[in-house]
Amino acid sequence: MFKQISSILFLILFTSCSLIEYHPYDGRLTIDERDLNNRHMALIEAATQEKDTIRFVWTGDTHKDYDETVDFVNHINNQILPIDFVMHGGDFTEYGLTKEFEWKVSILSKLKIPYVGLLGNHDVIGNGDQVFHTLFGEFDFSFRCGNIKFVCLNTNAIEYDYSEPVPDFDFIRNEIKEAGSHDFTRTIVAMHARPGCEQFNNNVKEFFQYYIKQFPNLLFCLNAHDHQLQAADLFDDGLIYYGCSNIAKRNYMLFTVTPDDYSYEVVYF
Amino acid sequence: MIIRMKWFISNLIVLFCFPVLLFAENDPSASTRYDKRAEKYSSHWQKLIPRYYKGQFAGSIGVVSAGVGWNYYRDHWETDLLMGIVPKASDKHAMATLTLKQNYYPWKIKFGEKVSFEPLSCGVFVNTLLDGDFWGKQPDKYPDGYYWFSTRIRSHIFIGERITLHLNEKKSWHRSISFFYELSTCDLYLLHKIGDHYLKPKDYLSLAFGIKLQVL
Repeated sequence: MFKQISSILFLILFTSCSLIEYHPYDGRLTIDERDLNNRHMALIEAATQEKDTIRFVWTGDTHKDYDETVDFVNHINNQILPIDFVMHGGDFTEYGLTKEFEWKVSILSKLKIPYVGLLGNHDVIGNGDQVFHTLFGEFDFSFRCGNIKFVCLNTNAIEYDYSEPVPDFDFIRNEIKEAGSHDFTRTIVAMHARPGCEQFNNNVKEFFQYYIKQFPNLLFCLNAHDHQLQAADLFDDGLIYYGCSNIAKRNYMLFTVTPDDYSYEVVYF
Repeated sequence: MIIRMKWFISNLIVLFCFPVLLFAENDPSASTRYDKRAEKYSSHWQKLIPRYYKGQFAGSIGVVSAGVGWNYYRDHWETDLLMGIVPKASDKHAMATLTLKQNYYPWKIKFGEKVSFEPLSCGVFVNTLLDGDFWGKQPDKYPDGYYWFSTRIRSHIFIGERITLHLNEKKSWHRSISFFYELSTCDLYLLHKIGDHYLKPKDYLSLAFGIKLQVL
């Protein structure tokens, strides 16, 4: 009997490495993905170098909605018309738990096209932002897609208590400076929380708007966080902020940017 | 009168300074009363002396955790107090945790004198991170009800099994040594599972191995 029990115990031990967890917030990753944004941005830049029209998906706020995210990934993978990449506007998780990141990334990594992810306020909870950093990379990043520059910003100011510059104007200034030295002619700025919402540092929202408008030919801004479809001229200056709904509502925004215009549609899945 | 007064004062001094002496000298029946009381007093406090040590690997309360505990009510119930260490991974630093755990063992199967097996253990434990980056209640900076949950305190439920080797008390340091394993899950994982089809038990279950050394 003792032999039987011990053999069962050993069996459990060796087949159960994935069951070992030190703490829900232990930050210990059991999946192999690292530095996802940098790797995927390189793929996007290489694939779209010669393209004059790009199509990309804007989605976000996947939170606890795993079934919907699986359906979303299957839907995107079965598209006939080519899509260049997917942008996730943040809130991969609900509670910032390490496993939530792993579960979500395991689903999204089944996408056949590259995706980049922004930091959402829920992803900061606990030590979530540090897990995000390990998995995805920097919170502020940019990449080029043909002659368009995508600038992705961390705007979750309330999470950082002024301990980090959010939004990081140094980063934005450097990106604007680069505009002179590179041949990108248009810009799209993406963020999780848009100016005016409770997450944003609204003391500097006008300044933020002024600053990002220094980018060459800023086409529009993208935001997530509000869990609803939005298209708003927030500052009455012609710059539109497009907000995607959360994945639970089973839709996403599909943008098409042509050499001299852009359009978008809301696709339900 | 003066003599009586003197007797009274000296008695008072003796009463306050050497109460044992006083009762021992004057009243033999009160002496046993005191002894009884002292015995009762120490036996009450002795109940609070931890009866065993427990150590555990993994199980969502640290890579290793260790502590003491008490068993009571025909050894059906056990209460543990454990400290754990969460090593540094993605986080900038390692963390310490504290766990209060309530175990219930409904059955015990004996295999001779030496071995017994508890086919089911179950219970709950509450774990708190001893780390300033995590909050019990959302900080004031957030609007009311922004984050309803605590990041510091996690509640878990578990089931498991345990095998106990009863040792020869004349030769060994401990009364018995037990080995156990447990599967647990926490409050937030359960909330993930509600209405979800994607997550499998291997995703949200946490396995722990442990050892218990029964001293008393």
